[in-house]
Amino acid sequence: MAPSEIHSLSQTPITAHSFNADRSQVAVSLNSNDVQIFARQGQEWKPTDVLSEHDKLITSIDWAPNTNRIVTSSQDRNAYVWQQTQDPQTGATIWKPTLVLLRINRAATFVRWSPNEDKFAVASGARAIAICSFDPEGDWWVSRLLKKPIRSTVLSLDWHPNNVLLAAGSADMKARVLSAYIKDVDKRPAPTVWGEKLPFNTICGEYTSPTGGWVHAVGFSPSGDVLAFASHDSSITLVYPGQQALYTIKMTSLPLLTLTWTTENSIVAAGHDCQPLVFQGSESGWELSGSLDDPSSNKSAGGARSGFGGAAPVGRLQSAAFNTFRNADSRGLGSATSGAGSGESELFTVHQNTITSVRPYAGAPGNVAQVSTSGVDGKLVIWDTTAVTPATGLGGIAGRLAAMQLK
Amino acid sequence: MDNFRKIDIDQYDEDVLLESELYEPDPRDPAQVLDDVKQKVTAVRSSLAKGDITGALDLVLDNAPYGPNVDEAKNINLQTLLSILNSTKATEIPGVVKALSTDAQDTLMKYLYKGMAMPGWGDVSGSVLLGWHEKLTEAAGTGCIVRAMTDRRLV
Amino acid sequence: MSNVLRPYLAAVRSTLTAALTLEDFASQVVERHNKPEVEVGQSKEVLLNPLVISRNENERVLIEPSVNSIRLSIKIKQADEIERILCHKFTRFMMQRAESFVVLRRKPVKGYDISFLITNNHTDTMLKHKIVDFIIQFMEEVDKEISEMKLSLNARARVVAESYLSAFNS
Repeated sequence: MAPSEIHSLSQTPITAHSFNADRSQVAVSLNSNDVQIFARQGQEWKPTDVLSEHDKLITSIDWAPNTNRIVTSSQDRNAYVWQQTQDPQTGATIWKPTLVLLRINRAATFVRWSPNEDKFAVASGARAIAICSFDPEGDWWVSRLLKKPIRSTVLSLDWHPNNVLLAAGSADMKARVLSAYIKDVDKRPAPTVWGEKLPFNTICGEYTSPTGGWVHAVGFSPSGDVLAFASHDSSITLVYPGQQALYTIKMTSLPLLTLTWTTENSIVAAGHDCQPLVFQGSESGWELSGSLDDPSSNKSAGGARSGFGGAAPVGRLQSAAFNTFRNADSRGLGSATSGAGSGESELFTVHQNTITSVRPYAGAPGNVAQVSTSGVDGKLVIWDTTAVTPATGLGGIAGRLAAMQLK
Repeated sequence: MDNFRKIDIDQYDEDVLLESELYEPDPRDPAQVLDDVKQKVTAVRSSLAKGDITGALDLVLDNAPYGPNVDEAKNINLQTLLSILNSTKATEIPGVVKALSTDAQDTLMKYLYKGMAMPGWGDVSGSVLLGWHEKLTEAAGTGCIVRAMTDRRLV
Repeated sequence: MSNVLRPYLAAVRSTLTAALTLEDFASQVVERHNKPEVEVGQSKEVLLNPLVISRNENERVLIEPSVNSIRLSIKIKQADEIERILCHKFTRFMMQRAESFVVLRRKPVKGYDISFLITNNHTDTMLKHKIVDFIIQFMEEVDKEISEMKLSLNARARVVAESYLSAFNS
């Protein structure tokens, strides 16, 4: 099923993207120190504002839907909170940055608003997570650092719906659930499957995949009772603390970098394979159910590739390789010239390079109908979560590809 | 007088992660690991004699020794595995590889790379290992190779 | 020998595809720095296991992956003295022009003839499968070039020797 919308925002990679509440504007970072805000005009996105304050690459952006504030984090150890105000001189609406005192001495890698939007968490390479809340006396955001068990750069974060628990995935191969309870901002939370009395910096759980691998993405389910994390060993793990169960799905394809829950029983995740994958399951077990992209339908100019077609997990790569070597073997030809078809240098998936971020686009938190993905190829694509191309067994997507090729 | 300039200050940093902390160490003790591996040799030989290649591979790849201090066990296990790989006919390889569990496939991939790193050792034959690598990648995908890279439990 | 070439290059291709899963990673050791971790080698947890793919003792490829960069070193087959000299000159020629190559490293890793350093900046600007295609093509062509050079060297030497010695054939 083709995706709903494809927007090619630039030729440079999109490091992070975030939509506003009604999806009329999107804030993106195009591999630079500035945030570009695009506004929707018909079917296109036109750039409207540029927010410049950071000195180095912006690593993450989050737009709070209710309070309409943007928080950005960057490799220059800073984070800023931007608010829309009236410019006193010109009367136009501008974005005004407010300083955040992070007190970290390495790059900030990831930032997310909490569900109630009164605090946000910043992951950093200083082996700490800064939980920031607003201090009205100083008119700035102050932070408390979560340090204790973290031994390496924190790569991603996700908030629990109760505004207190935080999941963090880091480069020391562990996914942790920590408490980020700030005394003056939060009310005491109700007990959850993760624990009861939760003062700041309590470790509610520490999980790892058996084959190790940096944890690239973490996510709580809509109810907050299940934790999912994707790690670099091409696996995705689901943790059910209530039943003390841990399910690891090892994939045949390349690692996933980002994930988001669409319903209580399904996840959309994407990464180096350049296509969003859908996983479904429940407390009895999980499995890969398919992809939101359909590589076989995009294969037009591929030519009569009566290729060997064996399990080719990443689009057309292996078939071209086999073609090349078959030529070399049988006809003594060197590497196949790219004149074989205009599809030679293009992948069959919509995204041409790694997908770095997937976020919910439309639908309520427990029932997301559409997701948006952005990647290194500069594209922003919106997908319908119900249009899943099924994976049949282990060589699923690859199997379909092979079947199409042998026609 | 300026000896302080030559001190490697990073070695005193307590927070740095050491190689050994990156994976779970093998719970068995080295002598027992060595015993296990030696027992497997006879079991594998009898499986091969019966022609049961998948069974022999499962035996060798299950509970493979990893980590420090078990070098002799690792070498014996590698030699046993090589004897199985060398004696399998090329046409049978795809079937055998598909019958392995995911964990066994991952361990096999680790051994293939280990074998290729030591060309000329024992029974190592480059062409045999490459043939197995090709068939294993077809069955288990590039995910298996990624796991061979990330898994710190070096066989 | 060419029936081993195909699985050898296929193995390098699939391993390289698996290793080129790079992402941006700011240095944990020095603030505000962003360096290829495989070259720095200080944070052990961001480095992955190095893998070797070898056809026989004389030809191997070493891939050292990490979170934001990989180093690929190739040992080219050099059967005799002439090939060794030719290979050395050929690789030196390329390494002196490493800037225009972009992914080439100026010095090879010890024990190998030529090394490539591919970072996340390269995978951002270039398509990953094309980088892999380039490396495989390079590996195929290097062998061909060296044998061609050796043949032309021998032919030229023969011509020179003939014309020189014919002077004594009075």
